[in-house]
Amino acid sequence: MSTEAIAEPRRGRAIHFFRQNIGLVLVFVMLAAAVVLYCVVYWMQLQTLPGNFEITSTVNNTMPLVLVAMGQAIVVLARGLDLSVGGVMDLTNALAAVLLHDNLASMVGWSLVILLIGAGLGLINGLLVAVGRLQPILVTLATLAVYQGLAIRVLPQPGGAVPPSYTAALVDPNQPFALVYVVLLGLLWSAFRRSNLGVSIVAVGNDEQSARANGVAVIPTRILAFTLSGMLAAAAGLFLAATATAGDATTGNGYTLTSIVAVVLGGMSLFGGRGSAVGVIAGAFLTTMIVNVLFFSQIDPLYQSFYEGLFLVIAVVLSTMIGLLLRRRH
Amino acid sequence: MAARGQRLAFLERIALTRDRRRVAYAFLAAVLLFVIGELVHPGFARFQSVTAVLTIASFVGLVAAGQTFVVLIGGIDLSVPWVLNGAAILLVTTSLGQDDRALYSLAVTLGMGAAVGVVNGVAIAFVGVPAVVMTLAMNGIMEGLTLGLSGGLTCGACASYAPPLVANAVHGSLLGIPAALYLWLVVIAVVSVVLSFTTFGRKTYAIGNNMRVSYLAGVNVRLVTVLLYMLSGIFAALAGILLVGFGGQASLGMGDPYLFQSIAAVVIGGVYMLGGRGHYLGTAAGAVTLVALVSVLLAMNMPDYGRNIIYGIVILLLLLLYGREEVES
Repeated sequence: MSTEAIAEPRRGRAIHFFRQNIGLVLVFVMLAAAVVLYCVVYWMQLQTLPGNFEITSTVNNTMPLVLVAMGQAIVVLARGLDLSVGGVMDLTNALAAVLLHDNLASMVGWSLVILLIGAGLGLINGLLVAVGRLQPILVTLATLAVYQGLAIRVLPQPGGAVPPSYTAALVDPNQPFALVYVVLLGLLWSAFRRSNLGVSIVAVGNDEQSARANGVAVIPTRILAFTLSGMLAAAAGLFLAATATAGDATTGNGYTLTSIVAVVLGGMSLFGGRGSAVGVIAGAFLTTMIVNVLFFSQIDPLYQSFYEGLFLVIAVVLSTMIGLLLRRRH
Repeated sequence: MAARGQRLAFLERIALTRDRRRVAYAFLAAVLLFVIGELVHPGFARFQSVTAVLTIASFVGLVAAGQTFVVLIGGIDLSVPWVLNGAAILLVTTSLGQDDRALYSLAVTLGMGAAVGVVNGVAIAFVGVPAVVMTLAMNGIMEGLTLGLSGGLTCGACASYAPPLVANAVHGSLLGIPAALYLWLVVIAVVSVVLSFTTFGRKTYAIGNNMRVSYLAGVNVRLVTVLLYMLSGIFAALAGILLVGFGGQASLGMGDPYLFQSIAAVVIGGVYMLGGRGHYLGTAAGAVTLVALVSVLLAMNMPDYGRNIIYGIVILLLLLLYGREEVES
């Protein structure tokens, strides 16, 4: 390493940052492109630019994905994969619709309980993976079935009700107030990334053996990563209930896949130890913007998943290619 | 510890290596489920109901054959549901239920499965896209294409039935055993022989055990990877053809259960998910176990959600029983 560093001419910090965070840079470029494209197709349809209403609904609709994708990102960072997040969202969404009543104590109390339940579901995943020494994909595929079953037991038919004041507090339908949560999550992430746990998770994701050799408690780290993912998925379930103002024990299902899509678009390596949740937040918004653009370019909605899949492949191939190019120039 | 060592040595001597033991467990589990079924619901283990369970299991088993191939090199194929569904719809729309178009549409459908698999394989082997991401995206692409091209299954040709040739081939039976089972038996034999006694099979296990070493040993890793994903696509398409022959018409979402079931069958069958170890015979037993489990729960009038829960718990228990990774020292 050191000889290489000497042989190589010095580069600026900006280029160094660019090379280290190619995925992060790419997702913001793509997000900006998607926003511009969205404005263009919106203008062509309605001869005006998107206003407060469009921004608010975009932010509110993306909030559940932002939360669940952050949880997924933490697990992926520790070289895992959590397929059960959809089931956790189903269950917490159903619980919220059944339990929440229109007074402050009920809303705050039950929200906390539901977050704890989510953490508990994640803890089960974590224990099975870390202590049971099972593979994350298999464990979470199995617990996905269990959690989905429990969700349908709680709320057999879509229904229940979420108090309007709860909706107003989480996803104000009139103002893009939820952006505050996005910023807050970004700040929380940068604190988390520098905390002991954050560093341990990255270390375990990069190289488990070296992490262990350097005194990282691998098993508790794994368990905590899954627990956090469960808790964030529960928060996503609460936001989903607030947006829909009712519960449905199956709406969370799609989020297993879209959370992985957001993580990958966000420039994270599925092999662990690389990437940032800030990129993942951008990835979540990019996912929503792609759907928005498709909607306003009047593409048959039946083709929607075709384009989503295509964009996912293109994004991954692009970042791989650029990575290869940069390394070749090196 | 010594006793355990001795017991293991004994088992090794009678040729029950760990991998074969796992296959044996999967078969035992299947038999056990039929016994339990007979106890809770007399008549469950009758010849007709056993063959019915086995016929349903053959659909899972075929999809799981493709899944086994890619899992053996440490990959995974998440594009199975909509390749299967797309194949079912493609078969009825190209054949329009006519026998004289049946062969042509069979070729087109299997060719579609193969093409999708090749695209998956090329992206994974040559471009380096992770298998989870590539096949996940492919599932979306196939879903969008299937829905879009068939107008959400509203097209005129979409309501066609499977050609009688295909339907009869699936429903026909010889000596009281359905034709689909004969096909599955042939597939089990061929896949087992290919994996255990051909260079292609050996190369597959080699890549699964250590990709870099097999590359250095002269295995064309990329080519084998592409071929394996192609096989997975073909098997998913084949299952779609059989399903539409079995049910008569195609429907939307008919492939969805097969993702979970094919992976579960592979796991129950004792195939190591990181690749390099396992047999298709185990996967086949896993498919039977899985379908028998569902049938037992159905016979017990278990509601839908309860089935989901028990499904998940059984898989977790089986995983804890023998799916564990070795302790790293």
